[in-house]
Amino acid sequence: MSHQLPVILFLLPLFAAISMPVVCLKHRHWCQPISVAILAAMVLVSILNLHNIIHHGEVRYVFSGWAVPLGIEWVADGLASVTLVLLSGLGLLGVVFAGRTSPKALAGRIVHYYTLILLLVSALTGIVFTRDLFNLFVFLEVAAISSYALVGVAGGRALFAAFRYLVLGTLGASLYLLGVSYLYAVTGTLNMADMVDRLPFLLHSKALVGGLLFMFMGLGIKMALVPFHAWLPESYTYAPESISPILASLVTKVALLAWVKIVYWVLNVPVVIFGVPVLLLVAVLGALAAVIGASLALAQRDIKMMFAYGGISHIGIILIGIGQGNQTGFAGGVFYLLNDAVMQAGLFFLAGVASCHYGVKTIDDIGRVRKQAPWLTVSLIVLALGMIGLPPTGGFFGKWYIILGALEAGSYVSVAAVVLSTLLTLAYFVKLFEAIFRQSSTGLDVQYGEIPLPFKLALGVTSATIMILGLFSSPIVQMLLNHALPPGL
Amino acid sequence: MVDAFSAVFQRPNFLAFVLIFLWGFYIMVTRYNLIKKLIGLYLVQTSVIYFLVSISAKEGATVPILLSTTEPVQAASYANPLPHVLTLTAIVVGIATTSVGLALCAAIYRKYGSLDEQVILERLE
Repeated sequence: MSHQLPVILFLLPLFAAISMPVVCLKHRHWCQPISVAILAAMVLVSILNLHNIIHHGEVRYVFSGWAVPLGIEWVADGLASVTLVLLSGLGLLGVVFAGRTSPKALAGRIVHYYTLILLLVSALTGIVFTRDLFNLFVFLEVAAISSYALVGVAGGRALFAAFRYLVLGTLGASLYLLGVSYLYAVTGTLNMADMVDRLPFLLHSKALVGGLLFMFMGLGIKMALVPFHAWLPESYTYAPESISPILASLVTKVALLAWVKIVYWVLNVPVVIFGVPVLLLVAVLGALAAVIGASLALAQRDIKMMFAYGGISHIGIILIGIGQGNQTGFAGGVFYLLNDAVMQAGLFFLAGVASCHYGVKTIDDIGRVRKQAPWLTVSLIVLALGMIGLPPTGGFFGKWYIILGALEAGSYVSVAAVVLSTLLTLAYFVKLFEAIFRQSSTGLDVQYGEIPLPFKLALGVTSATIMILGLFSSPIVQMLLNHALPPGL
Repeated sequence: MVDAFSAVFQRPNFLAFVLIFLWGFYIMVTRYNLIKKLIGLYLVQTSVIYFLVSISAKEGATVPILLSTTEPVQAASYANPLPHVLTLTAIVVGIATTSVGLALCAAIYRKYGSLDEQVILERLE
């Protein structure tokens, strides 16, 4: 039974998504409770799965009995299981939050809206578990198509943002597929574990380099790495309030995880191709993304835009950790990834509450409502501590391990990039707080009243999780070091 | 130089792939009309699919169905079915993406009354 858990985790949201249009055709108000129930069940199963993996080691699942190089293989290792707890948890929070914020204009189409959310969650689950390069492509595209539709679902400005996202995202997917077909042409296999054995003899092959480059460019677009980030800020800013937390916290992070899997599980670091160490490339691109993303965030006045660029810079910080090629850096990078997912969700929940309940969109307006918005202010302070990376939040310990890893690898440029991006993050939060606390709360003619329970829940749980990740950072990182490291590191 | 050229022309399928890919990419980058952008995108997708099919082509090979159950299997006489299966999936994915793209175009046209990117950007302000 326990070795079936990864597949159960995938099938739960998938079946719910497929049956949703049938079950809820007559009863629209059932959609949200059913989604909440399914995702809550998924959280429980994923915790059970993580418990299993820690105590009994990784689970390898082969579909319909076809042995490994022929069949599609799924592996639930430590990394995948930890990510899945987070993924299902944030999905659940997102759906709870969506109950109060889903766009009014949807009316009857609300059924499809929840269908797409569940489909997105199931596709992301597939990306996390799969060890087959083509299977990964299919799930990337299912996740991407659901995201395009979800961004554009409410109409308005989001339509154009969604179209841009679609064009760039599909280009990325095509490049990834091209890379996969190159690798398939060279190695004759699509299974990651099988490819590992064949690659060492092919490091001089130009097709291999080309294939890896195309795959990296494709996934770079999906994870919004800096030169390819243009689609992200607009689509997350104009997407419906209930959608941007789910997209911002999960989609880019899971694409990054797919790339981590390819670098560490297929390429089997430390590999040098044509004189270029692959990991160095990852770390340098990460450093660029960390600094450029944070600088761009500093220039924004719209809070969602600011948070979106903040997310882009944090993708860079995670890549710096992953690219150090030692255990500390890798564990730090993965820990920071978990943190960043929670922080991004929290930030976009906050922006959603600010715009839904208080009608506030820019940083100049937040000051107006400060006195009436205790939940907003407190969670903003916690999130800011996490984003800047001050103890006792998880953000601090993530950056701490990443810097330790960089020092261990002797890469002082990476340390400098993390520190610089931290300073820039501090700068844009100072700008935010300055706008909030400078205003002497004049013009309080509107009474907003108490915010509803789902909003409190979303803000409270994300803020608390950031604190908990910080307070329990050492057992979590120890667990990552014991169970989530790639082979040969 | 001559070697490089002859190497290229010995593999016309790769040449065709590169041309279709770049043609699609060029359309995507230079055209302002959203439908034309989608057409360019579709060309890019199709070129990758074409590449995947063309690398699996094998001269003198037959469909991957066992010809005889008594003789041992001669792998060389069968075409590799896997790239074709991948291609089918990739085509389905491509159709789904294109249809979502067209649906977005329709919604954009209804809202802004134009499919020209520059006109839409003006009306967004």
